Amino acid sequence: MTCRDIDERMSSAPGNPVRTQEAIEHLVKCQDCRALMSVVYEHGQPEALPEIQLNRIQARITEDLRPVRPLPPSRFFLFACAIIFFCIVAIGAAPFGMNGWGSLSMLQKMGVFATIVASAGLLTVSIVGQMVPGNRCTLAPAALPIEILTVLVIVLVAAFRPREEQTFVASGLVCMKNGLTYSIPAALLIWLLVRRGAILYPKLIGAAIGGLAGLIGLTVLEINCSNLNVFHILVWHWGVVLLSSMAGASLGAAVEYVGGGTSVQSPKSADL
Amino acid sequence: MQSGEAACKSTGPNMERLMSQYQQADSAAAASLVEFLSPQLHRFFADQMGSRADAEDMLQDVWLRIHRVRHTYRPGEPLLPWVYAIARRVRVDHYRKRQRIGSRESAVEVLPEHSASKDEGHNLPTFEDLVASLPEGQREVLTMLKVNELSLEEVAHATSSTVGAVKQKAHRAYQRLRSLLEQSQFAPHAHKGVAK
Repeated sequence: MTCRDIDERMSSAPGNPVRTQEAIEHLVKCQDCRALMSVVYEHGQPEALPEIQLNRIQARITEDLRPVRPLPPSRFFLFACAIIFFCIVAIGAAPFGMNGWGSLSMLQKMGVFATIVASAGLLTVSIVGQMVPGNRCTLAPAALPIEILTVLVIVLVAAFRPREEQTFVASGLVCMKNGLTYSIPAALLIWLLVRRGAILYPKLIGAAIGGLAGLIGLTVLEINCSNLNVFHILVWHWGVVLLSSMAGASLGAAVEYVGGGTSVQSPKSADL
Repeated sequence: MQSGEAACKSTGPNMERLMSQYQQADSAAAASLVEFLSPQLHRFFADQMGSRADAEDMLQDVWLRIHRVRHTYRPGEPLLPWVYAIARRVRVDHYRKRQRIGSRESAVEVLPEHSASKDEGHNLPTFEDLVASLPEGQREVLTMLKVNELSLEEVAHATSSTVGAVKQKAHRAYQRLRSLLEQSQFAPHAHKGVAK
C-alpha cells in the first residue's frame, strides 16, 4: 500500500480507513501518513449552536410556511425548450421563403443544422441541470458555450467558402438585426421557464440561455439568408450567437453582482 | 402525512423524508431539518471562512435561501448535495461581499483567522489551521469529505463536478497537508492514536 492508496481510502471511506491490516502496516512505516491522519481524524465534532439562534431560524422559516409543488422533472423543461426552439424557428423561417435552405448543398445542410441542433441540445441539458442545486450535470457550464462557439466556427469555416461581396456591412447588419429579432424573444421565453428553478450562478446560466437563443437566431438566418460568403456567415450569423451569449453572461453577471451584494444582509435575512 | 418527528430514526433523521414533509408545509419537519443540518452547515462555513460570526450570518442566509427554493428539491433525490450546493453559493456571495467592503475601506484579511498559537502545548496544528492554508477548492472538498462526511458522489453533485475531479482535489489537499506537516516539523510527534 502507498501514500496514494491511503489518500484514496481517506477520500472514499467516510470513517477512519486504517482499520484494515494493510493500511496499518503502511502507517507503521510512514510517518507522513500518520501525521496526516492524526490531524484529519482528530478534529472535533461540530460545535453546538446557541438554541436561541436555531429557534430564530426555525421561527422565521415556519412563520409563512406554505406547501410548495416540487419542480417538474427535467424532461418537462427539455421538452419546453425544444418547443420554444422549433416554434420560433418556424415563425422566423416561414414568411421569408426559406431562400437560404434552398441555396445550401445537402452536405452543408447536414453539417450546419446537425451542429446547431446538437449544440442546442447540449445547452438545454446544461440549462436544465443548472436549475436544480446539486444536480449532477456532466457538462461543464462555464466551458460549454465557449466550446460550442468554437465548434460552430470550425463547422462554418469548413462548410462555406469566401465569395465576393459588395455590401458586406449593409447586408450583414440586416442579417444581424434579423437574427437578434428572434434571439431576444427566445431568450425571454427561456428565461421565463428557467426562473422557476434555483439559479445559483446567473452568469453561467445567462451565457447558456443567450447561447441557446443565439442558436435560434442563427438557425433562422441559415434558413432564410442565401448569402454563402463564409465571412458574412462568420461575422453576421455566428456573431448573433456570440452577441447573445455575451449579453446573457453580462446580464447574469449584473444580477450576480447585485444579488451577491445584498443577499447576505437582506432585510429578510436580518429578521431571522 | 407523518410528522417531522416520525421521520427520525434511532440512527438519525431521514433527511430526504423530512425535506419532502417540509415541502408539504410540515413545520415540525422544517424545524427538525434546521436542528439536524445547522451544526454541520455552521462548521462548513466556519472552516471555509474562519470566523464564527461570519458562519452565523451565512447559516441564516443559507436557511433563507433553502426556504425560498425548497420547491427545487425533487423528492427521492439525495438532500445533502442540494443543501451544500446552496451553501457553496452563499459562501461565494459572502466572500465577494467581504472583498467588496474590504476594497472600499481598507485591506481586510479575508482568509481564515485561525492562529497556530491557539493550541499551544500540542505538537500538531489543528485541522482547521492546516485546512485554512489550502487553496479554496481543495479546502472545500476536504471539509465536505472529512468534516461534513459527505461521500465522494455527494461532493461531486454539490460542486457540479465529477467523482474523479473530487478525488484529485482531495489527493492534492492530502499531499499539501503532508508537506505542511513536514515543513512545520510537526511530523515526528504525530503518531499518537492513529492506528486504532
